[in-house]
Amino acid sequence: MSDLRSLEHPTLKVPYEMLNKRFRSAQKTIEREMSHVTTARNTLERNLHSPENLSDLATSLDVLVEKMEQFQSKADEAVQSEVAVMENLKQRLTYLKGGCVPEHDETPALRAWQKTRVDRMLVEHFLRSGFYNSAIKLAQVAKIEDLTNINLFLVAKEVEEALLKKDTSQCLNWCHDNKSKMRKMKSTLEFNVRLQEFIEMVKQNRKMDAVKHARRFLSTTEHEQMATVQQGMALLAFPPGTRIQPYCDMFKESRWQELIEQFRAENYRLFQLSNQSVFSVALQAGLSALKTQKCYSDRNFECPVCQVPLNGLAEHLPFAHCSQSKLICYITGKPLNENNQPMMLPNGYVYGEDALSSMSMGNDGRIVCPRTKEIYSFTEAEKAFVM
Amino acid sequence: MDSILSVERELYALSEKFNRFDSTNGQQLVHTLETLRSTQRELDQVRKSGAALTPAQTFSLMKTVQGLSEVVSTFGTVHRDLHSSVSKVGKAIDRNFVTDYDSTSREDIFKAADQQKRLNEVILQHFYRHGQLEISDTLAQEAKLEDAHVIKDRFQELNAVVEALAEKRLGPALEWASKNSSDMHRAPEASSRAVTRLQSSSLEMKLHKLRFIDLLVEGKCLEAVGYARHYFPQFVKSHEKEVQALMGALMFASSGKTLEDSPYAHLLDTMLWQDIVEHFVKDACALMGLSIESPLSVVINAGCIALPALLNIKQVMQQRQVAGVWNPNAKDELPIEIDLGPECRFHSIFACPILRQQTTEQNPPLKLTCGHCISKDALTKLTSGHKLKCPYCPVEQNPQDARQITF
Repeated sequence: MSDLRSLEHPTLKVPYEMLNKRFRSAQKTIEREMSHVTTARNTLERNLHSPENLSDLATSLDVLVEKMEQFQSKADEAVQSEVAVMENLKQRLTYLKGGCVPEHDETPALRAWQKTRVDRMLVEHFLRSGFYNSAIKLAQVAKIEDLTNINLFLVAKEVEEALLKKDTSQCLNWCHDNKSKMRKMKSTLEFNVRLQEFIEMVKQNRKMDAVKHARRFLSTTEHEQMATVQQGMALLAFPPGTRIQPYCDMFKESRWQELIEQFRAENYRLFQLSNQSVFSVALQAGLSALKTQKCYSDRNFECPVCQVPLNGLAEHLPFAHCSQSKLICYITGKPLNENNQPMMLPNGYVYGEDALSSMSMGNDGRIVCPRTKEIYSFTEAEKAFVM
Repeated sequence: MDSILSVERELYALSEKFNRFDSTNGQQLVHTLETLRSTQRELDQVRKSGAALTPAQTFSLMKTVQGLSEVVSTFGTVHRDLHSSVSKVGKAIDRNFVTDYDSTSREDIFKAADQQKRLNEVILQHFYRHGQLEISDTLAQEAKLEDAHVIKDRFQELNAVVEALAEKRLGPALEWASKNSSDMHRAPEASSRAVTRLQSSSLEMKLHKLRFIDLLVEGKCLEAVGYARHYFPQFVKSHEKEVQALMGALMFASSGKTLEDSPYAHLLDTMLWQDIVEHFVKDACALMGLSIESPLSVVINAGCIALPALLNIKQVMQQRQVAGVWNPNAKDELPIEIDLGPECRFHSIFACPILRQQTTEQNPPLKLTCGHCISKDALTKLTSGHKLKCPYCPVEQNPQDARQITF
């Protein structure tokens, strides 16, 4: 399995879902405009039966022309918006091809591609964490605006900010926008938003409004939410300061935060994004693949897992699996193998032949063990064989 | 690559259909509209002349209207039929790319507040060390990292130099290099890799080279020669070819233009400037006792290598119905070995060739008298009485003669 196959699903799927959405709305627009045209045509046809009434005929023809013009321009606009998403998808595919090279073939182009990949992942991570400005800046600097799903998240940002200010209109608009999909997903987001509106009314002691609101929006809900609706209605009997559960919880301000979180999750589901960012998944896999027992006992400045913040992050992740010895020279960091034989000093420490011989050459054949500072002659070092 | 190609195939098929749709049905719509407009004009004339419509005119009007409904409804149907092609693209994406990471990673691992803070610090450091101040400042603000300035201060000197290099000012970098050139060859707290890097670093030479090229471009040949005489001799030993090439460029440097057409045009490549920034950052980090590469990049790239293998093994386990064997939450080791290449080896790991497991403090590696290394547990298992025969060669020995070793 290649890295592209495992990591790039959201890069393609999000624009695809966007295409799908635009397709549906285009189809709807076309059908709506079509019905306008048909109505205009029917009127005209009726008038054609009495061709002597020229002015009526002319008016209905004018109407038809107008409807037709509208149809043409709206349809064209809708189709163009579909084509635009397709172009973006093509662009992303072309970009992804740049990352397709034989394994372990280190070219500067591939290095640059990998750097962009880290940037792309970071943009997504920022967006998911709500660091929108950082995400936008990074995307601009790295010139990856077309390759990341910023637009999707910017819509989300507006909704979230509105919800934070207890303004539900944006969220409801969003629900309306994605109505058919939400229904298919059996989303309870809209219901919860309506319920929250109801709770706010109760808090402000506008009980009549609350009841009206409930009649209008909460009475049509699915059977599963009946219990919640009943609880909600029971709120009318309690003052906002009540300590009785579950009504005390229902009055809590933190419910707005829960709404935001639910909205986020629904937004991911809508675009088939997984709950975790690719960044987090890759980070976990990478930390595990690099993590050794020694990262916590015998630290090396070069090793990422040994460094301070990452060290803590990796703490609860699994270690790398290792059934084949992988030895490196403590002095040079170069691998120990048949070209650089491991040599044991009398004190039991093992170093590479290259490092020891170059140390002895400038030092009258003497070797200082860098860990114990003991001094030996090069001839005392014995070869060790590692299978 | 295959996965991309199969998505691409579906996408181009769809795009093709859309083009055809636009060129035929879209054009039909435009034509119909034109006919309709001309009919409108005709009717207008008839009205102005005060005459009545002839039966032929009525008939043609009828025809136009019928044609129109047909065009409009085909437009709708053809567009609706495009849906199957649209969803094929989606299916191709789902079929060829992995959506589900649940089995290889844990959602909760970075959720805790302290983990979040660490994660943000790692990212912040990543940007500061690359000199991307604007992004890191924004991030520090948005992520509400209070001690961001500690990280920032650490990289202040580095960032000042990077900023200057971005504006093509070499002064601060040269100053930095000459100030640290003595340290660079000692680097007391740096790791072995950093020392190796610093000892063979050609940063100073590269900086002088850029300054020299600048002088050439400005047409100050005499000054350039003086500069070369002053600075280049110390590098001739290690960079002979480069110095030769630079001096050769003098021939074409009467004005900047001719250098562009000369065989030395590569000296004007802007990549040299990007390269020097990268080179400088790595040297500076090595000197500061930090890793040469950004730890975050190393980890993410390692993850990109590891993840496909992990997803693969998961799939195999599911097929064999032994998925329960590997639960990422329960075991503290990955189920398979992942080779990240020699670049990503930072620690010596000795795996006993007999027992195929990593050695630990309780079970350390031992060197037999013949030189072969096995683990202590393996030695105990292989010993009979007071004799041990090496599993790799015919030497018989006393197991007590084996020496514990440290890599």
